[in-house]
Amino acid sequence: MSEVRKPRDPVTGHVKALAKGFKYLVEPNRMTLDYPAETMKLPPNYRGFFTVDDKKCIGCSMCEMVCPPEAITMVPRIIGEGGKTIPAPEGEKEAKGPKRTKRPVVNWGKCIFCYFCVDVCPVDAFIPTQVHDLAFEKDSEYRPSYEEYLKPPEEPYKNAKKVVSKADLKRGVGYDPAP
Amino acid sequence: MGIIPIPLIIWLIEDLLYLIIFPGLVTILVIVIVIIWLERKIAAKVQMRFGPLWVSKKIGGALQSLADLLRYSFQEVIIPEKADKLAFILAPGLMFAFATIALIFIPVGPYYSVLFPSYYTILFSLALIIITPIFAITVGWASDNKFSFIGALREGFLLISYEVPFLLSVVSMIIIFRTYDYISAVQSQLSFLPGIILNPLAALTMLIVMIRTTGRFPFDITEADSELVLGLYTEYSALFFGVGMATPYVELYNFSLIFSLLFLGGWWPFTLNVMNPIYGLILPGIIVVIKAFIVMAILVFLRAVYPRYRLDQAVRSGWSYVLLLSVLSVILSVGEVVFLR
Repeated sequence: MSEVRKPRDPVTGHVKALAKGFKYLVEPNRMTLDYPAETMKLPPNYRGFFTVDDKKCIGCSMCEMVCPPEAITMVPRIIGEGGKTIPAPEGEKEAKGPKRTKRPVVNWGKCIFCYFCVDVCPVDAFIPTQVHDLAFEKDSEYRPSYEEYLKPPEEPYKNAKKVVSKADLKRGVGYDPAP
Repeated sequence: MGIIPIPLIIWLIEDLLYLIIFPGLVTILVIVIVIIWLERKIAAKVQMRFGPLWVSKKIGGALQSLADLLRYSFQEVIIPEKADKLAFILAPGLMFAFATIALIFIPVGPYYSVLFPSYYTILFSLALIIITPIFAITVGWASDNKFSFIGALREGFLLISYEVPFLLSVVSMIIIFRTYDYISAVQSQLSFLPGIILNPLAALTMLIVMIRTTGRFPFDITEADSELVLGLYTEYSALFFGVGMATPYVELYNFSLIFSLLFLGGWWPFTLNVMNPIYGLILPGIIVVIKAFIVMAILVFLRAVYPRYRLDQAVRSGWSYVLLLSVLSVILSVGEVVFLR
């Protein structure tokens, strides 16, 4: 049963909307987090930037295969002293021969932070962090080299006040200091 | 050698004054920076946010737009491989240039003449303003990106459907004032009534068309950021993007100046008729710019209230309601001219 739509009043709706907007303009009710000064306390399984443990990784390429946006690429490396890897000679694309191996590098421009790679890794070589608010200045910084990728990401606002959100009956959303 | 007649120097200085201060380049820069900040701040207040705040926190983030301008200036320029490079680079600049050149023919004082005195300033300024959307379509073509191209097509659709009402609303004011010149249009308003009372229909049409042409809400269709990434400017970065983003605000400034000259009585409370740079240009100029700024502030407030129209809704209303309004405004003008004078 469809109702017959009445022709809309072209004036009243606009006036009401403008009046309501003006009311909010005069008496603003702001419920945003004061972000760089205070940050949310994140849940323990929050998925942020992650790096890889060079010694643990066995170069099996499972993460590359499972990555949905194909953000992970494997770079050829040579196992050096103490289990750490050194870069393979230039022009070598395949990891063949003695002590040759591969290591993953993430393109942050493509990564969707699904953590499939962290889950699939047979030796738990990925080191997850909760850092999620990094900014990149240049296009090239999205694609780090393996050495740059190994550095753990630094949290930008370490001294910020940690808060948790709560339902505030008057304002809608409020914030309490984190326990 | 070295002898320049003194009248020529005075003439040059006055021209520079017109071009740089009123209504010229410095005013454009300041107004664009302030209005972008104001728009973001108003929308944030209504939508329960803070808006720009952390650049210069004590004055409410007023320097945010300046910081953005600096950031655009030093950002990495990325030009897509498949873009039509010459058009890609030139089009935003030309768009900005034509939007700015239109200001030459918009006087803000009773003794205003840049380059040459003209009795056809309304026509010249309209011609220059109407050129700018063509470069918007060039931008969409040159980027070689589907989002830019769809944005350009939408711009074309809207351009055709709203240009006719715009011209008709101006024509109705030309009929009432019986002149093609802004200065005599303002003088006839000073001696009788402001244009918004003489022909409210034309004023309403002009307001709607201003909102549409400068891409304010609810006609934010060409750069609809939830559908087309950024519409026309999807592939742009750095200063090209900054210039492209600033152009609608320059156009908004142009249109608001025209609106305050044609409908709000120009330099209305100031009626002194003295040929002097201060009384003839600066004081009336300040009044006109303040009026234009109030019009701009009201129009950017709409961003906080309205959702976006669909393309077909906007085109349909352009060809029906707005065109009807503009035709009625022409009839009203003709009636007033026949029966009142």
